[in-house]
Amino acid sequence: MFDFVVRHLGFLKSVPLLPQVFEAFLIMWSFIFKPEVLDCIDTIHDEVLSWDGIKECRHKYGGMQFDCYGKEIGHIHGNGILDILFSKKIKEQLLAEGKIKDHHIFANTGWISFYITKKEDAAYAIKLLGLSWSKINKSTIK
Amino acid sequence: MLEKIFTAKVKGYLVSNVVGITIIGITKYWMDQNGQPIIIFSEFVIIPLLMGMISAWFWQDLQLPSRKLLLYSAYNCFLAILLSYIFLGEGIICLIIVSPLIFCFVIAGAFIGRNLYKRNNDTLNVSVVLALAFVFIGDAFWGNHQYENEVSDTVIVHATPDKIWKNVVSFKRIEQKNAFWLFKIGMPSPIESTVEGNYVGAGRKCIFSNGYVFDERIATYAPGKDLTFDIVNQPKDPEIMNHIDIIRGQFTLKDNGDGTTTLIGNSWYKLYVFPVWYYDIWAQSITRNVHLRVMQHIKELSENN
Repeated sequence: MFDFVVRHLGFLKSVPLLPQVFEAFLIMWSFIFKPEVLDCIDTIHDEVLSWDGIKECRHKYGGMQFDCYGKEIGHIHGNGILDILFSKKIKEQLLAEGKIKDHHIFANTGWISFYITKKEDAAYAIKLLGLSWSKINKSTIK
Repeated sequence: MLEKIFTAKVKGYLVSNVVGITIIGITKYWMDQNGQPIIIFSEFVIIPLLMGMISAWFWQDLQLPSRKLLLYSAYNCFLAILLSYIFLGEGIICLIIVSPLIFCFVIAGAFIGRNLYKRNNDTLNVSVVLALAFVFIGDAFWGNHQYENEVSDTVIVHATPDKIWKNVVSFKRIEQKNAFWLFKIGMPSPIESTVEGNYVGAGRKCIFSNGYVFDERIATYAPGKDLTFDIVNQPKDPEIMNHIDIIRGQFTLKDNGDGTTTLIGNSWYKLYVFPVWYYDIWAQSITRNVHLRVMQHIKELSENN
């Protein structure tokens, strides 16, 4: 359902408020079917915002996006999908760990998707965002 | 003292509900078609969204985790439903029907609000408020608020049309227990039908379980084939008043030539509550269950004779 909306109804994202309504429905979906995902998102949110240079903003599809000095380090959708852009080399290494998957839409790019389903996934999600943050933070400081 | 009572949490509940009920109250008397009030789509979508956003504004300093925000918003919905019962005179069944919409959009509004009010989020925009206002005003002034529909149901009766006909025109009290969940929790269901005479123009009454009566007038009287009646007066029940008008009903009989008859029940109605994509699902379901209760009774009476 989520993929269908993003793939085929993505053009509606520029309608004011519609992405936020969509995101709110994803959150409600999570609350009903996998409420622990919401706790994970809160944990990730609190941790990531404590890092240097991080600012939270809205993702174009309504999710929670973390930027480091204006560059995106990753974003989480209300249904627990964490998307991050890495280099293809790092993506290969992460895929070998077996926890992440190709991005739910852009499979042949450096984008990865990590599906948060249980409490323990918060730590790995923070690790992935930390990896992205350290790279962007380093390159920005240089 | 007042600060202890009117905490941020209480203000979130209070202000959002006062704003919501006030706007609905005003629109309820303002939006009408020739004296018939209508309840527009925006009242069930935009106002709950706005209520959620208002409550989130008061709760922003509480830094509520997602689950707690959802829980507070759910309490807010219960309060809104209670206030609608007290101040807007809505029936309990109506409020049950409307509650999924209210819950969805109040909760959605709270999360949208939380997102919008975040301190680091400097892109909140007047465009959101403008978009809400634009949709509300556009819906109120230029929205299409005319909707009529027909529901049709079929039952095969193991009897010939001449044996069925008298039970179609009028029928004895239905003793069968209700199976439809809304009837079980108190929505009135049809129990009896009486008729003044067997001719076009004769009065017919459809009596419901709570004593309410639909006054009907026979428009077509073709024995063994077609009984059509117009509803000339429907009860002033808060569950249906200003929400739906039943316009016409019809039973047609088709002889299958093998000792069975196809009994078809049709009803035409007009909705005064919007959005249609939500309320028509309920209207169809309720009408269908009214049909089936009556038609099953006609089937039993006809097959047992």
